[in-house]
Amino acid sequence: MSGFTWRSASRICVLLLVSSLIVIPLAATILGGFKTDGELRAEPFGLPDVWRTEYYAEIFADTRFWRYLWNSLVISLLTVALTLILGSMAAYAFAQAKFFGSRFLFSYLLLGLMFPFAAAIMPLFLTVRDLGILDTPWGVILPQVAFGLAFSIMFFRTFFKQMPPELFEAARVDGCGYIRFYFYFTLPLSTPILATIAVFVFVQSWNNYLLPLIMLNDRAGYTWTLGAMDYRGEYISSWNRTLAFMTMTLTPAVVFFIAAQKYIVAGLTGGSVKG
Amino acid sequence: MAEVRLEGVKKCFGAVKVIPKLDLTIADGSFTVLVGPSGCGKSTLLRLIAGLEETTAGQILIDGVDVTDREPSDRSIAMVFQSYALYPHMTVAQNIGFGLRLARKPRSEIRRRVEEAAEILQLQALLDRKPRQLSGGQRQRVAIGRAIVRKPKVFLFDEPLSNLDAALRTQMRVELAELHAKLDATMIYVTHDQVEAMTMADQIVIMDGGIVQQSGSPMTLYDRPANPFVAGFIGSPRMNLLEGTVASDAGAELIGVRPEHFVLSNDAGSWEGRVRYAEHLGSDTVAYVDVEGVGSVTVRVSGEVPVRAGDRVFLTPNQARLHKFAGDRRLAA
Ligand SMILES: Nc1ncnc2c1ncn2[C@@H]1O[C@H](COP(=O)(O)OP(=O)(O)O)[C@@H](O)[C@H]1O
Ligand SMILES: [Mg+2]
Repeated sequence: MSGFTWRSASRICVLLLVSSLIVIPLAATILGGFKTDGELRAEPFGLPDVWRTEYYAEIFADTRFWRYLWNSLVISLLTVALTLILGSMAAYAFAQAKFFGSRFLFSYLLLGLMFPFAAAIMPLFLTVRDLGILDTPWGVILPQVAFGLAFSIMFFRTFFKQMPPELFEAARVDGCGYIRFYFYFTLPLSTPILATIAVFVFVQSWNNYLLPLIMLNDRAGYTWTLGAMDYRGEYISSWNRTLAFMTMTLTPAVVFFIAAQKYIVAGLTGGSVKG
Repeated sequence: MAEVRLEGVKKCFGAVKVIPKLDLTIADGSFTVLVGPSGCGKSTLLRLIAGLEETTAGQILIDGVDVTDREPSDRSIAMVFQSYALYPHMTVAQNIGFGLRLARKPRSEIRRRVEEAAEILQLQALLDRKPRQLSGGQRQRVAIGRAIVRKPKVFLFDEPLSNLDAALRTQMRVELAELHAKLDATMIYVTHDQVEAMTMADQIVIMDGGIVQQSGSPMTLYDRPANPFVAGFIGSPRMNLLEGTVASDAGAELIGVRPEHFVLSNDAGSWEGRVRYAEHLGSDTVAYVDVEGVGSVTVRVSGEVPVRAGDRVFLTPNQARLHKFAGDRRLAA
């Protein structure tokens, strides 16, 4: 340990400032669920005078809340699974195989990165309706996967390209073809990037509001983002319940992040090809 | 145990012709070293034999079977890469047994054969480690273990020792030679280091620009180099290649004299010159001498000889060991 330096002191100040931007609203949300509405309006950031657990308990006991959460979870997990499978397979083909038109096709996919989601809402709605999957989870999942593929393929491809080519050649001499290499090597060696993309896609899907709003009309299929609006409609002035609701919907996303974080470690290929 | 034969093999990368047209036979059970300067196409040739590159033209036969269009795994070969290319997420045992696992061999057989290979290479204590927990020399051994467990007819090595330090390299050189004796398989070994080639090979194939310059036993190449390139490549320090009147007096365009084939004297000899620099190694003395009318000549004498920079010395080349060349050819005798 070195002593006090202005350098580290200023670094700590900056970090505190930045983290407070996230921590203060988060704390206010969590604490808000323990306050009465009046108290919330008078003193939004302080600790509650009395810790009231009834609002949390009320939501905890509400079956609608659990259904919203379940719907969000199904949609998010399926979006993550499909994006990882399709994205990594496509990226593997782009990274590993040389085929005619691969560069053109890759550039075409990257165009998807530049396409503003909001501009696509109308044609997206019509397509989903024509496919007959309006008001089903697939109406949200498939567009999310489609929009997530461009960036996930780009990241996967960059990662796969860094894999030493000798690894594939050694495996090929051992009798391993392209497809088995993907399962035996590419996937197990790519857990950092898989976990990173998974977190990103999960959070995006978990917090998605616009797409469920357009695709889902039946209350039974609502995600929590739609459900939260629903609460606000019912209890016009009940901010404390909304905040308690928000806090509880945060939990699955945080749990998912912590589970995935374990795999986001560098240096997994250590010892393969350096002397 | 197999002969490897290349018939009219050609390899181009796009417009670049790396191997123009090559015929070569590698004898059954031999330890053949492909040697040549960097970029001459040694690795490419080895990868063609392995099936990692496709031939542009020609045939490759292993043990009399045309394998030109076969996958690497169907050629009865095994390859050890310069970078080892170990599977980082698998243990040593899994690394060695992976090929057998892919071939759907029974578990008990895989275990037995992995243990056999581990015993030959003294890897028994390391079978449960991951590659990142191994030293360079141990990784090298695992890479070799992965090759021998498959019981291939032909072993291919691409500069397998170049990532090791000098002491380990010498040790592995001996171990590889012993392994060759024990396994009695054909081994093809690529290196750019002529010392490695001379010490390990029964047959050396010297390449330059994708063309085989000469092939033969180390002593044949040392005693009768087929052209000036081979003459200059084999032997350390390099052979003196001299043009001008000394060459034409001997009836050639170019003559070669190895540094060890001179008599060095203080008072009499056929050439007179001044020592520019001298290296005293104890076992040998190497002197760089400027000879008037001939040029710079390297001389090696065994034992310690007290020559210093600036000394006047006389050199007498051993006429019986004179190499004569005209153009790119060796002149008879
Ligand atoms: N995949 C490739 N594409 C294009 N050129 C290549 C490729 N592989 C090798 N070469 C070229 O072929 C020549 C021989 O390479 P290589 O066989 O690796 O030489 P060496 O192993 O003797 O050093 C080099 O000039 C190299 O640039
Ligand atoms: Mg090479």
